[in-house]
Amino acid sequence: MTNKLRAAPYIFLLPAVALIAVFVVYPILAVVYYSFTDYDIITPPVWVGFANFVHVFQDETFWLALTHSVIYLVATPILIGLSMTLAIVVNRKLRGIHLYRALYFVPAVSGSIAIGLSWRWLFDRNGIINSILQTVGLIHEPIQWLATPSLILPIAIMLTIWAGVGYYSVIFLAGLQNIPEELYDAARIDGCNDVQKHWYISIPGLRPQIVFVFVISSLAALKVFDEIYVLTQRTGGILDSGVTMVFYLWRQAFQLHHAGYASAIAIVLLAITLVFSIVNVRILERQDAEA
Amino acid sequence: MKFKRILSIGLASALLVSACTSTAAPSASAPAASTPPAASATAGSSAATSPSAPASVAPTALPVDPAEKIIDGVEANAEISFWTFYLSPTFDGYIKDTIARFEATYPGVKVKWEDHQATFQDDLNNAFAAKIAPDVINLSVSEGWVSDYATRGVLLNLDDKVPQSVKDIYFPGLWKEQLVDGKNYQFPWYQGLNVELINKRIFEKAGLTEADFPKTIDGLKPLCQTLKDKASTVCDIRLTVNDLIAQMVYEGNVKPISADGKTFTFNSAEGVAWLQMYVDMVAAGTVDNTTLTTTDDRTGLLLFSAGQAPFYATGPNLIREVKSNNETLYNDLAVAMAPLGKSNVTGKGLMSISVKADTKFPNASIALAQFFTNPRSMVQFAQQVSIYPSSPKAFEDPFFSSAPAAIEDSARPLAKDIIATYADIVPTIPKKADVNQIVLKAVQSALFDKVPAQQALDKAVADANALIK
Repeated sequence: MTNKLRAAPYIFLLPAVALIAVFVVYPILAVVYYSFTDYDIITPPVWVGFANFVHVFQDETFWLALTHSVIYLVATPILIGLSMTLAIVVNRKLRGIHLYRALYFVPAVSGSIAIGLSWRWLFDRNGIINSILQTVGLIHEPIQWLATPSLILPIAIMLTIWAGVGYYSVIFLAGLQNIPEELYDAARIDGCNDVQKHWYISIPGLRPQIVFVFVISSLAALKVFDEIYVLTQRTGGILDSGVTMVFYLWRQAFQLHHAGYASAIAIVLLAITLVFSIVNVRILERQDAEA
Repeated sequence: MKFKRILSIGLASALLVSACTSTAAPSASAPAASTPPAASATAGSSAATSPSAPASVAPTALPVDPAEKIIDGVEANAEISFWTFYLSPTFDGYIKDTIARFEATYPGVKVKWEDHQATFQDDLNNAFAAKIAPDVINLSVSEGWVSDYATRGVLLNLDDKVPQSVKDIYFPGLWKEQLVDGKNYQFPWYQGLNVELINKRIFEKAGLTEADFPKTIDGLKPLCQTLKDKASTVCDIRLTVNDLIAQMVYEGNVKPISADGKTFTFNSAEGVAWLQMYVDMVAAGTVDNTTLTTTDDRTGLLLFSAGQAPFYATGPNLIREVKSNNETLYNDLAVAMAPLGKSNVTGKGLMSISVKADTKFPNASIALAQFFTNPRSMVQFAQQVSIYPSSPKAFEDPFFSSAPAAIEDSARPLAKDIIATYADIVPTIPKKADVNQIVLKAVQSALFDKVPAQQALDKAVADANALIK
């Protein structure tokens, strides 16, 4: 083989490597560097060692944001359960079922900002939810949903679930359609009712999809930003009631101009996500081995 | 089997309805996420952001007047860049004509104009970081941007560069606002008047008229209580979330920091009284909590435009927005002057033009900033939208003494006297953005977490002092 031929693969790889170097590797290295500096974006960064990391662990709002992100994580099983239920509901031969399947997918292809604005409108003091509750006489005065600290996070989680359920149900639907029909026939002959049929056949049959959805939805939960940004109109909610880690990172970098501190938060978030991903990958590998 | 099928279709339909309900929601409030904080309830920035201002009025281009050439030593063949905030496309005609007149007045100078909107501050920060910041920059005084950038050393000190005869063109209070270490870094540009738009129908329901609107800030609390009791509506009042210290200074006459700038003092009796007024209103349920705590002035304006709020503090220019959104309300509209705070200062300036510290063409940049803010340019601008000039001479134009034809111009005859009293009475606050976050947390804990006002402010002062130690 000539030298020219040996070089060819590297030449083909070069554009991709260059792009990754510029848009992935360099930004990551820059964030690592900035995390050790006091940097306000405009003036040159000043080296401060580990001060930003020390501050992260002493920062009450950071811990609050982390708590909110963990609460988001806990909501992941609800998302999985609802997506699976929806997949089971639409996995049947009914007239117009394709239309329903397409409609459930609409939130997945809608912009997160548009969805957030729609939900803000729903939960507005003069929004449709208060109107309905007042019309049926359940409340006499409008509830200020988005100005009530204890309600911000639950509403944001509901929004995330609503927006994600269509997407994840498509994954479960694909899984359901791979389960042989004979298994359901056998279960029916054995006297299983519909609930038992899905409990003993569908759910075990969907195990790979469940693990996959759990991994990607829980990683997404750690990165929640858009919902909070729009619902709280960039404030993070009264008393920081909706602040998540990524939102807090954004606030530090772009509202308070503490790019160095924001970089330190990003590194901590990266470490948490990395640990989480490794645990998930181990679970996946163990499952593959068992299969 | 049939029952199950019906059940599953029913369930699917219920989910479908919920899906469609949300996706059908209007996206008309889209500016929420994009409207920058500078568009707060102050007149001029609202003028700049108002999508309902007349669509790109093409003014008659003014002829070149050599008397407008008052800056000496302009660099030959200078090419300077100029950024404005939220003025395009509505005022494209005006800006381009003014630039053309400037280039003819100062031959050889070329101006490259860009308008930046929702991402203005991010763009500017990035431009400074990349050393490609514009030479001439439109900055908001009301949001404290001038002092922010001047403190970071990126703006040109104009006191050393601008002759006294040029400084004298402007209202003294406007020239001296946003001083950093006693130095001025901005040419005052267009100004706004703070007015209250009043929904007469709601006021009548509560047995009130626009004449009952309070003249001082103390009157807001009883007014909101009356409106709640008699008209079953809540007030649409907004805290300046991005600059609470300024709000407490103007409204509560609070002294926020010691004379030497080393100790915060906003937990004084005045500070507590100011906060307690809002605490009482929240506790009584007489204010819309979302509007109260939002950074987006459009939230309150949309609520008012929808006819759901009794009044809203904004600029007269935004009456056009009410007119385009709700003609019925426009016909039921009244305007009152905004209530005076305990500082007895009616307000501070709105928009300014600054020059980059390390510009290659300081004199050409100063000339452009001065040209846009000179009386002739300002009168022409004011004729297109309800904003007001920064110089006394501009008010000598007959336009300002003419009888207002529309309600949005009703404050015009009073404008000069009001703007002449404008002053920035907020001292320089070290680490202002961080201190504001601390104050915001304290205010919210008092408003929504039942922490006594004194206790909340004491903690905020302790935290803020620790921050600047």
